[in-house]
Amino acid sequence: MASLIRYVIRRLLFMIPVFLGVAILTFAVGNAAGNPINLIRAGLRNPNPAVLKALTEYYHLDKPIWQRFLLWLWDLLHGNLGVSISGRPVISQIGPWTFTTLELQILALILAIVIGVPVGVFSSKHQYSKTDYAITTTAIFGYSMPTFWLGIMLIVIFSLDLGWLPSSGAVSVTNLWWGNNILDWIAHLILPTAVLTYVELATFVRLIRANMLEVMRQDYILAARASGLSERTVTYRYALRNAISPVITIIGLGFGAALGGAPALETTFSWPGLGYAFTQAALTLDIPLVEGITIVITIMVLIANLITDLVYAMIDPRVTVQ
Amino acid sequence: MTDYQTPSTHDFVNEWAHGLPEKLLEISNLRTYFFTEAGVVKALDGMSLEVNKGQAVGLVGESGSGKSVTAQSVLRIVPRPGRIVDGSIKFEGEDLLSKSDDDMRKLRGPKMAIVFQDPTTSLNPVFTVERQLTDILMLHRDLTKEAASKRALSLLEHVGIQEPEKRLKAYPHELSGGMKQRIAIARALSCEPVLLFADEPTTNLDVTIQAQVLELLKQLQKELNMTMVMITHDMGIIADMTERVTVLYAGKVMEVADTPTLFRSPKHPYTEALLKAVPSVKQTRALEVIPGNIPNLIEPPSGCVFNPRCKYAKDICMKQEPPLEKAEEGHYVACHFWRELKLEGRAG
Amino acid sequence: MSQSNPKRGASQWAVAWRRFRRNKSGLLGSAIVVFFILVALVGPFVVAYPARSYRSLYEGDAGSPPSFKHPFGVEDSGIDVFSETINAAHNDLYVGLAATLITTLIGVAVGALAGYFKGAVSDVLLGLIQMFFVIPVLLLILLFARVFSVLVFKGLGLTLIVLILAFFGWSSIAFIVRGETFRLKEMEFVQAARSLGAGSYRLLFRHIVPNILSPVIVIATLNIAGFILTEVVVSFLGFGDPNTSTWGLLLNEGFPYVRTSWWVSLFPGLAVVFCVLGFNLMGDGLSDALNPRLRE
Repeated sequence: MASLIRYVIRRLLFMIPVFLGVAILTFAVGNAAGNPINLIRAGLRNPNPAVLKALTEYYHLDKPIWQRFLLWLWDLLHGNLGVSISGRPVISQIGPWTFTTLELQILALILAIVIGVPVGVFSSKHQYSKTDYAITTTAIFGYSMPTFWLGIMLIVIFSLDLGWLPSSGAVSVTNLWWGNNILDWIAHLILPTAVLTYVELATFVRLIRANMLEVMRQDYILAARASGLSERTVTYRYALRNAISPVITIIGLGFGAALGGAPALETTFSWPGLGYAFTQAALTLDIPLVEGITIVITIMVLIANLITDLVYAMIDPRVTVQ
Repeated sequence: MTDYQTPSTHDFVNEWAHGLPEKLLEISNLRTYFFTEAGVVKALDGMSLEVNKGQAVGLVGESGSGKSVTAQSVLRIVPRPGRIVDGSIKFEGEDLLSKSDDDMRKLRGPKMAIVFQDPTTSLNPVFTVERQLTDILMLHRDLTKEAASKRALSLLEHVGIQEPEKRLKAYPHELSGGMKQRIAIARALSCEPVLLFADEPTTNLDVTIQAQVLELLKQLQKELNMTMVMITHDMGIIADMTERVTVLYAGKVMEVADTPTLFRSPKHPYTEALLKAVPSVKQTRALEVIPGNIPNLIEPPSGCVFNPRCKYAKDICMKQEPPLEKAEEGHYVACHFWRELKLEGRAG
Repeated sequence: MSQSNPKRGASQWAVAWRRFRRNKSGLLGSAIVVFFILVALVGPFVVAYPARSYRSLYEGDAGSPPSFKHPFGVEDSGIDVFSETINAAHNDLYVGLAATLITTLIGVAVGALAGYFKGAVSDVLLGLIQMFFVIPVLLLILLFARVFSVLVFKGLGLTLIVLILAFFGWSSIAFIVRGETFRLKEMEFVQAARSLGAGSYRLLFRHIVPNILSPVIVIATLNIAGFILTEVVVSFLGFGDPNTSTWGLLLNEGFPYVRTSWWVSLFPGLAVVFCVLGFNLMGDGLSDALNPRLRE
């Protein structure tokens, strides 16, 4: 237990320089034109002078750059993310966007794990069978395609052609799908979740299958069988526990990547989450908003990684030893 | 056209059957093949083994001779792509090959067990020692968790582990090689099996620990009146631990005899070579190395499987497979020239 | 009387090649890759319309569905999708291959140093590698791409995209190389070489690096697939170069019209899928061939 806590603390300490690194990169890009205001000007023909004034203060443009960075960081850590060029404070908009992104991402992740792990195990136990072949092929296609493209295709088929599902947005304002608010929400979730789940699933299935094949070859599995344990116990308790550790890491990284990849998927579905907002903000060079979203997503990714580190350590205690 | 006959083990099995101590394990003409991409690997190709109750029997041969596969075959846990294709295995009079998998599982642990070679890989790295022992105890002995834990603790004491309470809660990677192997032994013995296969149990251990573990096995075998099959390539261990020994090469039996007899007057060239390869303190001549490598088990040599490396080999050895014949009472050999050859044994 | 001498042992590369030849999916993948390379090199000279050509507009075919004349249909702007897809092939491949080349060089260098030297240097490098592993790379890529496209007046240009992708994408190789270098360093053949007087750099580059090539080749191949996918996303969102034909750009142009001109979204997407699939299959085949796991 003690080594577990120490391990988590170590990982936490690691996250701090990573966060700083991203902060530095973000700040650097924002100031690539000398200061953020110049950059904003490059994107807008007629910026609102009141907003510009507020931002000039926020960015402390009168100070040298390293001070600007530290002050910016300080503000950030206290929740002050400045105002976007629209005049609204960044932090006020991030809340609802975050929720919208997470509801999709977390749902897809859970489904991908719940479906992917059994399928991967099944596939490994029936190696070389037709089913295994079909599963592996489907999986390879899954991670060979751009996620958003699959989304577009499904929209064309299920929404534009068949009209079974909505093509955009997270909820409808008028004309609720399927009757009530809840069902409307679900209707909107189906396509983007299906797409994201499939692509994440593909990676998990392949990974679990490969790891299981490797683990099942090990001596301790043979020894477990020699002790009379049932095949079911051997597979799900003894083998899977060993096979799943690398997958846990991948899940963490994958979640991070999915969060980072949200822009394309959300744009495709006009899903009003952080990714969609990021894309719009970056295109319009709304620097404070872009910086704010990047930092928030980074924090989420780091938390996700910390959670996976913890889960990993609970499953495979070897990692807590240095 | 080569004309080779598969050796009939019928003869010597019958011999043994006459009024002798109870036969615990009877393997007859066992063939276990591995169906791989590269071809069919004939790991065991007509091997036979007899073990009486309470005996300590040795199965000796170089790596690749099929020793481990024998143990796996008896417990019927031969990993894919391996399969038992022919032969019979009788345990306590019952035919094991016709048993269902469920029935076999009831035997694994309570009746027969294996101690594997490398304790680092034979213990599950993500479970505590306790968990690995209690899982088995709870399965076969229908104990509660607490009862199983207590029993696990006493098992650890029994195999000579210091501070067993601590070790019980530890993970394998926190323990030394010798300790891990003791735990592996404890695991194998947890349900008091009648038959124990010790598959190279000391090969991966430090020399100083080896002796301790062998002592432990000897002691436990006596205490529990267990029948033990000691699988090894080390003739020294054979001399120390076994009463009777079978020499295996490329999946076939070369010679079977009582241990002292085998050492004093081996009748097979391979046995002679094995004996010559063991160094001893009194030795003054150079160690003789057996030339060549273990044969390709996908395309084994025709005739006598040992002929490419045998210094006495003649024409017939490459054409005809020698049958396993009786040389004297209890001494069997598979060689065309066992009568003529005067082979060197060892006194010590 | 010993058996006749068996044939001389094959080098590990020969063995791997033999195994690769037997791997059906690996061969299929390689065939697909070769096909795309040929299309990329030869295609532009053979197709009816040059890159970014709006000629079909003047021919009255703008926005028309797939037909004999326009196998993949025409964009609403007048660009023939079939020609454009083929014209874009070499650009996408360029991005994938160039980014992979750069990241492989960086990754091997950083990884080898991180794995070989102990202490602060190694720790810092490892931290750096892990950092790039963990952060939401796509967001930063998009950000960098957007800002640089504004500041660099000529627009983005593919090379700039390659550099940005490379800047963020070297960590996977570095990580593996570090692990392998670390493992090999402790192995006996290295100790042996050192005892015969080999110095650090000689050890590193003559002895260790050749042994890490196998996993590097596999990851590099898979990285090509990844970089192409990333480029597609970047261009689709409008952060790429609007003057260079890429599959992502096609998807970007097609998306607003997806209701009526679905073919603009379908076919370039299929091109991406199969190209990436080819590299993924090839990478898998290489992985199986070079991996000594399946020892008999």
